[in-house]
This record gives sequence, C-alpha cells and structure tokens, in this order.
Amino acid sequence: MKSITENPVYKFLLFPIGQILIFALGASVVLSLVTVLLAFIFKFNVTDFDLVERTMLILPQVVINGVTIGFVYATIALGYTMVYGVLEFINFSHSEIFMVGGIVGIQLMAYFEHIGTLATMNEYLVIALAIILAMVVSGSLAVVVERLAYKPLRGAPKLVPLISAIGMSFFLQDIVRLILSLTTGEFNVILPKFGTFDEFWKLAVPGMEDPLRIQIKSAIMVGVAVLMLVGLNYLVNGTKVGKAIRAVAQDRPSASLMGINVNQIISITFLVGGTLGGAAGVLFALKATKLDPFSGFFPGLKAFTSAVLGGIGNLTGALLGGLVLGLLESFAASYLGIFTNGAFGAEYKDIFAFAILILVLIFRPSGLLGQTVGQKA
Amino acid sequence: MTLLNTTNVVKRFGGLVAVNKMTFSVDEGRIVSIIGPNGAGKTTFFNSLTGIYKPEEGQITFKGQSLIGLRPDQVAATGIARTFQNIRLFGSMTVIENILVGMHIQLKQGGLDTIFRTRKFNQEENDAEQRAKDLMEYVGLKNVGNELARNLPYGGQRRIEIARALAANPTLLLLDEPTAGMNPNESEDAIKLFRRIRDDKGITILMIEHDMRVVMGISEHISVMDYGEKIAEGSPAEIRSNQRVIEAYLGRGAAVAHEQKA
Amino acid sequence: MNTLFGNFFKKANTGFWPVLIALAFLLIGTFSVYQSPRSLAAFLILMSTPLILYFMKMNMKVKVFIGLMLIVIILPVLGIRNIFYLEVIFQMAVFAALALGLNIVIGMAGLLDLGYVAFYAVGAYSWAIFGSKQLSLLYSVPGAAPADAPFALDPRWFWLFLFLGVGLAAITGILLGLPVLRLKGDYLAIVTLGFGEVIRVLALNLDKPINLTNGPQGITPIQRPPLPPESILQFFRDILEPFVGHVPTDAEFYNVFFYFLALIIIAIAILVATRLEDSRIGRAWTAIREDETAAIAMGIPLVKMKLAAFAAGASFAGAMGALYAANRTFVSPETFSFLQSIGVLTMVILGGLGSIPGVIFGAAAVVLLNIQILQNFSLYLSELRQSDAVIPIINFAWKDLSNQLDPAKYQKLVFGLILILMMIFRPSGLIPAERRKRELVEEKE
Repeated sequence: MKSITENPVYKFLLFPIGQILIFALGASVVLSLVTVLLAFIFKFNVTDFDLVERTMLILPQVVINGVTIGFVYATIALGYTMVYGVLEFINFSHSEIFMVGGIVGIQLMAYFEHIGTLATMNEYLVIALAIILAMVVSGSLAVVVERLAYKPLRGAPKLVPLISAIGMSFFLQDIVRLILSLTTGEFNVILPKFGTFDEFWKLAVPGMEDPLRIQIKSAIMVGVAVLMLVGLNYLVNGTKVGKAIRAVAQDRPSASLMGINVNQIISITFLVGGTLGGAAGVLFALKATKLDPFSGFFPGLKAFTSAVLGGIGNLTGALLGGLVLGLLESFAASYLGIFTNGAFGAEYKDIFAFAILILVLIFRPSGLLGQTVGQKA
Repeated sequence: MTLLNTTNVVKRFGGLVAVNKMTFSVDEGRIVSIIGPNGAGKTTFFNSLTGIYKPEEGQITFKGQSLIGLRPDQVAATGIARTFQNIRLFGSMTVIENILVGMHIQLKQGGLDTIFRTRKFNQEENDAEQRAKDLMEYVGLKNVGNELARNLPYGGQRRIEIARALAANPTLLLLDEPTAGMNPNESEDAIKLFRRIRDDKGITILMIEHDMRVVMGISEHISVMDYGEKIAEGSPAEIRSNQRVIEAYLGRGAAVAHEQKA
Repeated sequence: MNTLFGNFFKKANTGFWPVLIALAFLLIGTFSVYQSPRSLAAFLILMSTPLILYFMKMNMKVKVFIGLMLIVIILPVLGIRNIFYLEVIFQMAVFAALALGLNIVIGMAGLLDLGYVAFYAVGAYSWAIFGSKQLSLLYSVPGAAPADAPFALDPRWFWLFLFLGVGLAAITGILLGLPVLRLKGDYLAIVTLGFGEVIRVLALNLDKPINLTNGPQGITPIQRPPLPPESILQFFRDILEPFVGHVPTDAEFYNVFFYFLALIIIAIAILVATRLEDSRIGRAWTAIREDETAAIAMGIPLVKMKLAAFAAGASFAGAMGALYAANRTFVSPETFSFLQSIGVLTMVILGGLGSIPGVIFGAAAVVLLNIQILQNFSLYLSELRQSDAVIPIINFAWKDLSNQLDPAKYQKLVFGLILILMMIFRPSGLIPAERRKRELVEEKE
C-alpha cells in the first residue's frame, strides 16, 4: 500500500502549502499573543489612552503587513540559503540581484506606460510579465556574477570570496546607477500607477466591528511568493537536478565522483537563487513603489537574517525565518513607539533585524530549525 | 604512576557513537599507542582528550586533575601538546615563528612589555628564539628557520610540527599518525626521534599510528580500538597474537585462517 | 621586455643611483607641484618618492631623511600654498591610521570587520558631544538651539578626549567582541556590519528622548584645541610667507596642526603594530588567522586574543575619530556609513593584508583616487559638457551627457572593482606582507 506521503500531489503541493500556512498562522498567533501580553504589562505606563485597546485595534493590519513583507524576505532568503548550503558562502551581492529584479520589473511597466499600452493591458498580465522578465534578468545576472567573481576563487580561504562578493555588491549598485543615469538621467525608478492594486478587499470577520482590509497588492505578493516557494520545493525535492543540488551541498567531492557536474550544479543554484530574488524584487517594488540602486541593501540583509534565523542552508528554515522576521519587524515598527511612549519608534525598524541576528547567532547559531542541508564539520 | 586516565568516555555525533566507554590510562614516562582500523574513533578520542570535542559522558584526568569542561587552550596549559593527522602548521609563518607559537603558554610578556620593548621582553624573546633554534636542531632541521613553513618538504613539516609541540614543554605528547606518508627510512628516523624525546626529556608519548612496524617497534603498551570501543590492550607481543585484534583488522575469515596456520 | 626592464632596475638599484633617483623625484615633484598646483601629474611624481624609498636599496638613514623631508616639510608647505593639498594629506593621514587599525583586525588576526567605522564614530561623537554645546542642549529640539548656549568644556580638554576616544573605542570593541567573536568568520563579518549600522542609526536617532547626537543634522560647532602661542605662530608666518606666497592664516595653521597630530598618531600606530606583530601576541594572531584549531591546541585562548585584536584595532579608530571631530568642527551620522567601512577595507586589501607599508600605501592611493583623480575626471567631464565637443563615430554630443554622471560620486564602483580584482588577481595586495627574517647563526659543524 502506498503511503499518502508518497503521493506527489500531497508531497509537492498540499504538504508545502500546509506548512506555509501553519508557519504563517503560527508565527502570527505567537507574536500577537506576546504583543497583547506586553500591552497589558505596559498598560500602566500609558495614561492618556488605553494601550490594550489601541494594540488590538491595529493588530490585524500589523499582522497582514508583517506576513506580506515576511513572504518577500523568505523568497530572497532562499537565494542566500541555497548558495550557503552548496558553497558555505554568503552571497553578499544577492541583495543587488534582488534590487536589479525590482528595477527591471518597474522599467518594463514604465515602458508599457511609455508606449501607452499600460492602461489597456490586463493588470495581472503586466505584473506577470514584469516578474518573468525580472526572473530572467536576475537569474542570468546571478550566474554571470558567479562565473566572474566567485568561481575563480573556489578553494581559496573563506574570506576571499566573501570580500569579492562585497565588492560585487558595491560594483553592481553603482553600475545600475550608472546605466540608469546614462539612459534615463535619473536613478530613482518609480512604479507607474495602474490597475486596482492599491484598493482593499474587505473581509467581514465575525466578532470584529470593522472588516479586515487586505490590500490587493498584498494578496498578490503573498500569492506569488507561495507559488515560488512551492515551485522551489518541487525543484529541490522532486527533480533530478534537485537531487544533484542536495548531493553537492552534502559532499562536493563525492558528488563529483558520482559523475555530477559540480560547476554546473553551482551555476544552477545561483540561477535558481537569482530567479527567486528577481521575482521578490518585483514584489517588493509593488509595495515600495519606488526603488533606487541602493534599495537592495537593507532587504537583503534582512533576508540574510531570515536565513540565519531559520537555520542557514535549510530551505524550510528560510521560509519560517522570513515570516518571523517580517512579523517581528512589522510589530516593532508599529508598537515600539506606542509602548515606549514615543521615545523609540519605527526609525529603529532597520536595525531591529540586526539585533535579532546577533541574538540568534549567540544563543542558537543553528537557527530555529537547525541546519539540514550541507552541514559540514 | 598514572599520568592520564580516562573512564567510560563517550562521544556521540547525533546517532553515531564515535567513542564508546573508553577506559584507558597512560603511565608516566612510557610510549603508548592506540591502533585500530580507519574510523575506529581514535582521532575522535584524541580530540575528546584535548578539549576540541566535549565528551557526553565519562571522566578524563591528567596528573590527577580533571580535564572535563576545559577548553583546548586550557588543556594545552596543563601540559598536553599534540600534532595533527594532516599536518596543521601555520603555513605563512616561518619555521622559527611556528615553534615560537608553540611557546605561547610559557611566554609571560604582556601587551605593555611588547609595546615598550622592556628588558623583560627582549630577554624573553632572545631566550625563546634560542630555544626554538635548539629545538629545530633537536628534531633534525638545519638552516630552515626563515623558510615559510608551507615551503618545506613533507618530512620537514612533520618535524616542525613535533618541534612546535615540544616547544610547549609538555608532560604528555600526543602524536596523531606521526609517520603517515613517510618512507621506511624516514619512519626509522622518526622512531629514533620519539625514543630520544622520551629518554632525554622524559616526555610521555601517546600516539595513534597505522604503520605496524612503527607501532610494534616503539610502543611499550598498545590499546586497540574498533567501532569506538577498546577491544584489547597489552604489550606488542600480546596484541600481535590477540584474536579480536586480528579479526578487527582482517575480518573474521582471515582470523580463522591465521589461527589454523598457528 | 620584462627582463630588459628587470636588468635596468637592477642596475639602477645599486650604488648611489637609488638616492639620486629618489632625490630627483622629490625635487622635480616639489618644483612642479609648486609651479602648477592643480596638476595631478606633478602631485603623482611627488608622491612616488615614498615608493622609491621603499623599494630601492639605500642607506636606512638616507631613506628616513628623505622621507621626513617630504612629509614633515615639503607637504605641509605645499599644502599651505594650496589649501587643497592640505585636505589631501590630512585625509591620507586619517585614513592611513584607520587602515593601520583595521589591518590589525583583518590583516593580522584574520577577523573580517565590516563595521570598523563604528569605532571611529565612537571617538568622534565622544569629543563632539563634550567638546560642543550639545551638553547644554540635551533637552532642546534639534535645530531650535538657543544661540547663547555655553560650551561644556574648555577646548584644552581635547587632549584628554584623544585618549578617552582610544579607551572608549577599545571598550566598545570588547563589548561588541565578547558576544560575537565566537562566531565563524563570515558570520562575524555580517554581525560587525550590523553593528556599524546600529551605531549609525543610533547617531541618527538619539536626538530623542534626549538630544544626545542632534540627529541627522549632526553636531556643530565642535571646539578645537588652542594653537601654539602667538609668538611661535609669528615665527612660522615669517618663515613661510616667502615660500607660500601669502601670510598663512590660522585656519591653515589649524590644518597643518591636525595633519601633524595625525602623523604622530600614525607613527604610534606603526610602532605599536610592528611591535605587536613581532611578539607573542602578534604570532598568536597570525596563528589564529592561519588555523584556529591548531592555534588553540597550542594553548592560545582564541576569544581573548581576538578581543585583544578588536580592541587594539578599534583604539586607533577612536583616536582618529576625536581628531576628525575637532578638525572638521562638525560630525554627522553620514560620515560613518557602511561605505566608509568598505573604503578602509579597500585600502587594506589594495595595499596588502597584514602589510604595514602596504596599507599605508593603500590608504594614500585610495584617498588620491577619491578626492583627486575622480574629482579631476568629474571636472573634465563637466568641462566637456559645457563644450560643443562630440564623440566621433557614434556622434554623441557631450552636452547630452547626463548630469548624474559624476565620477566623484561613483566611489562604490571603484571600491567594488578594486575588491573584486584584488581578490582574483592579487589577494595578498600590491605590497604583500613579509615575515621578519631572523638572524640565524649557522651552527658550527
């Protein structure tokens, strides 16, 4: 009798989606509870309004924001974690691969606007095209970067490729800036306005006065990210290429002896990571509506933090880490100011991730889920 | 007198028990070997002794003092020096500097002594340098003090590693496959060197070794490990004729054949 | 070709030739900078002198003499004559000291610190807060400062803060190091990066709840220590006037003063670094860099030694920070960005990890590139833009070139390229580190 876990529909569709749902719900619930608890504790500090009431009032929106950005972080984090799993190397320039994806996506939409077809095209088609183009460009760029800047350094001491990657990160930022400046005379790119993405779906929730408002673009972001995650899961766990990737991550010399073309697999790893990064770039652009060549830096660092938080090298971990970090950040941005009576606020949002990174590395360096892919002594 | 004593040391990696209930002791002033097939847990046992791995269970005492919970540098400070299976010299440092690093524990110079080059500092550095040269000669190396360690031939690197370990003035010297990759002549020289180290300096030697000629030629006591456990111990003659040892090395069939031949 | 040049070099590197060549560069360089202060080529000729001194064989005393002539007399005089060079040499000195400090951390101990500029910030803000009016403005909103707020301390306290900067930065280094130095090398890099950003964001936002840093506007004015007494200044004014073509102003004296102060810190940095390198501590650092497992088995306590490296490296940055705050009379968070950390890293990598002459060269080269070569290029482009020139063949009018294209703003591109190319083609740097050769007496047979 064939067990249900062997059924491909279960294994590659139901199980991962279920896992994603559980992670998203679980992380949201846990953090919400902690926040409400904190609200009760801090209640007595704040006299001019009811802290608990205000906390509850904005809670649904905070959770939705957190989950949305969390999925973006998770999608970027997969690029870091895959490369780390295979090469034990922090691909520092992944944040720029991501940024390039976002900018390419916006530029495509701007092009449609320029030739005048943006208003008449199906808005979802536009987004789909932008994502596909971003995936192609970012994926290829990641492969090229690997060939030029990392491959010659394979086998060198660990810090050597890392420094090269930092250099590549800076180089890409300014090259993009140069190209944008020369072609458009401006290096900020702005998402053209089109479609109905800024509108809200209103979901009536029993027991709540106001309906839950979900911005359509948030739903798109989550939807596309889930699609990417499920697709990646299938690629890594359900195909021959995935098996080769896992083999190389586990033991490169042996994989090579088994006839696996290690260089090719490494390229594929970068390709896959870059592709995901490109898609995440467009999703991020939808939310941020404005990008510049330096926009990749912070999301990239946060995604890396997510990867470490979940357990670097572990794909499921990257997902969980991304969600947790997105939520934590959203909570910090919304509640830090309220709880401290305005002394500290959302401006500390960006360094919040670092605090988490440092804490995780000190107290649980293997991350929430531990390391499963390619852990070497 | 017992110098090093372990009782029921267990080291696990996940589900794998790499060292299982090792009870073992080394008497002062002896040359003792641990042998066993590849993967028997010998190096893991070494690493557990020196604090690189933290054993899950068991006791380790050295000169009556427990080593459990000490960091590797603290273990080294108690008087245990070691070499590594695959030579681990500081490649970009010169030979002399490698040996000087071995003296880290003995040197007393502080940061301020260093910056102000006090008399104490200069005196200590001169003495250390002289000792390093003596050690270099002691292990049979000449005129290579300023060479980068990585530029030396294999045999030379093995010797520097031993000189570096001796520089710490150890009571116990752990050698992890010290003659691996040597030809018979070099092994012969190495054996002589180990004897001299014990005889001149009174340093107790515990080694892991594969080369039976070396093991049988030098050891006064041998322990045999297989699958993480000690399966036999005794004098070289006893080990040579021990049934379980032959099985472990050659498999059961061979052991039976050996018995019939005998 | 190569051997031809090699032979030529060999011949030139004997007898009195090296001295002659060095003097020639020194004199021709000085004269041409004097004649045409805006010429890049002239300055490059002059700045080649130290390289010649370093690479060619000559008497040590002669080397030191020519070197001192250049940095103690010629450069400051040329600087007073043309204020631009004062800025160049001051920045070179500041960054050389920073690079020397970072070199202890990365080059000697092998710890990739991407947030080094944080220690610089600690030094700078410590004098900025106490050496300005900020202490009396703690409860006022940034920008709304009452004009009559008093300075908290006498400017002479600067000298104490120079040392306090050292101490504070070292303590910060230890506090950061304690939790993170157990981490693997690449994690350490990211965490230090994060730490650098944390310090910057704190500087940016600690204008509330109490106004400690004055937020993004930064702190100004910051006091400078008093110049030497007027009688001494007058003496130098009289000497210098004929050479520089005008009566040197106090502002110029201040720049020279800070340049010399930076030189003294560099001298101390070099002394401390070379002495540490060749000692138990330095050897332990190198051992850790090469092989942690072997190092710890030799009895080297890893965390303690790494902390020492962090603290030593940070202390130079702290001193330079206090100096910088006083020289600029202004600090703001943007001075302490990640870009600065990478800039210092680039200097260290370009010159040679662990190589003291290398990192000084790296600092000088990158500063020159940044504030002179790229600037010149920018000027050249803007001149082209204003002209009617056209690129032949593709028929592109310079006029149409984007205003955004300002090479001086493309530091990241330059740093990035240097880092990548050095890692691929010359990871040990342009002037690689050398181990000290000891005099080993041949044993008698």
